Amino acid sequence: MNQVNPLHIGALLGVVILFLFFQLSSAKEELKVADREYKSSEKLAVDLSSLKSVYADKKKTKKALERIFAQSLIKQAKLTIQREKKSIKVSSKSVQTKVINLLMGKLLNGSYNIKSLKIKKLSETKASLSMEIKL
Amino acid sequence: MFTRFKTNATTLFIDPNFEGTLEYESGKKVNLILSPSLYWVKKLSLPISSVREVKKLLPSIFEDTLLESHYSYTAYKSGDDFIAFAYEDKKIFDLLKRLGISYSDVVSLHFAQSEFDTIESAFEINASQSIYLKDSLLVLAPTTWLKETQILDVKDIELSKHRVKLQQFGHIVDNSSLYKVGTILIVLALILIVEIFVAKSKLSDVQVVKEELFSKYKLQSTMFQNSASMKKYTKIYTTQTKLREYISYFLSMKLKTGQKITLVEYKNSMLYVSISGVAKGREGEITSQLNSKGVKFKTSHNNDTIKVEMKL
Repeated sequence: MNQVNPLHIGALLGVVILFLFFQLSSAKEELKVADREYKSSEKLAVDLSSLKSVYADKKKTKKALERIFAQSLIKQAKLTIQREKKSIKVSSKSVQTKVINLLMGKLLNGSYNIKSLKIKKLSETKASLSMEIKL
Repeated sequence: MFTRFKTNATTLFIDPNFEGTLEYESGKKVNLILSPSLYWVKKLSLPISSVREVKKLLPSIFEDTLLESHYSYTAYKSGDDFIAFAYEDKKIFDLLKRLGISYSDVVSLHFAQSEFDTIESAFEINASQSIYLKDSLLVLAPTTWLKETQILDVKDIELSKHRVKLQQFGHIVDNSSLYKVGTILIVLALILIVEIFVAKSKLSDVQVVKEELFSKYKLQSTMFQNSASMKKYTKIYTTQTKLREYISYFLSMKLKTGQKITLVEYKNSMLYVSISGVAKGREGEITSQLNSKGVKFKTSHNNDTIKVEMKL
């Protein structure tokens, strides 16, 4: 008929409560970390998605460039345009500077990934052009 | 399914004034009958039918009879009356200790009142005292007062169902406080368990939302891959922004008469700009404008042409 000392039961309950407190604090910490990770993932997702829509959308970039090349002044300049799978190369040994100003104005104001560029002044009104835009 | 083995226990009568030797062997199971010296008894006639209700009243019923100490109370119904008891657990434990009886060997404890409520003669329980029934209550009396007494033999007695439960630690903490503290601790434990459950469920919600985020933004399967993509596109963005920014500095640059930009070249993250008409020693007019914009650059001079070189 031995009974359990109530102080032992109290101590056991105390230990259980301490254990539960520990479990709760670790669960809350885990939740905090997960929440932080979620927020950083969300920020990364939004940023990455907007950057990709600017620099990784080949179709969109190609379409926008074709619209620029179709402008009458640029079209008349008869630039050499090489359409490759990963890039578009534009060149001309001699072109009117006003055409270069128009083209560069459009390209620099848009979000195009210009890989290389060379504009060399030939005279007051003429210049040579060579550039590669990554798709 | 459940087999209950009959314990082969000896029945002993224990009395604080008994000076003989008890037939007890350590480790052997025993049933104990408590002498009237170990408890107070009252016969009550109350307009209550429940024993539980009677038990609640017992501390106040015994209040005037008992000396200051820690008592336990119990009662059972006997006909239309109640037989009520008050006893000191510690006093009984002290006696068990003195007699060398281990509490773990005790199968059951009974008050003498419940076991001898039908005796017709007096029985000697120690050298000087005997027990006998008076108005259905078992009382103690000096043996010398009584005419005929018999020696008490409890070996073959059939024990009643009225058992006594001793509070082994009743003197440390009383039951009601124990239950209150226990209840508070259990409630606290339950609250903590609920909190843990809520936190875990929120955690799984966050993980679900995170998975949805991956599919919504068509992210790659690991954060490592996504971070690498982010790094790649951030570099493109930074370089392209700088390219446009630096070119705009040159296009808005105040050049002197005769000074002209003759070359703009960008390759391998390097930007080169050549300006003609800049005599040697007059580069400051150009460089000061770039310095004011915080641009890091290198210059080289060839005839009247200055070549500015910048890393993007």
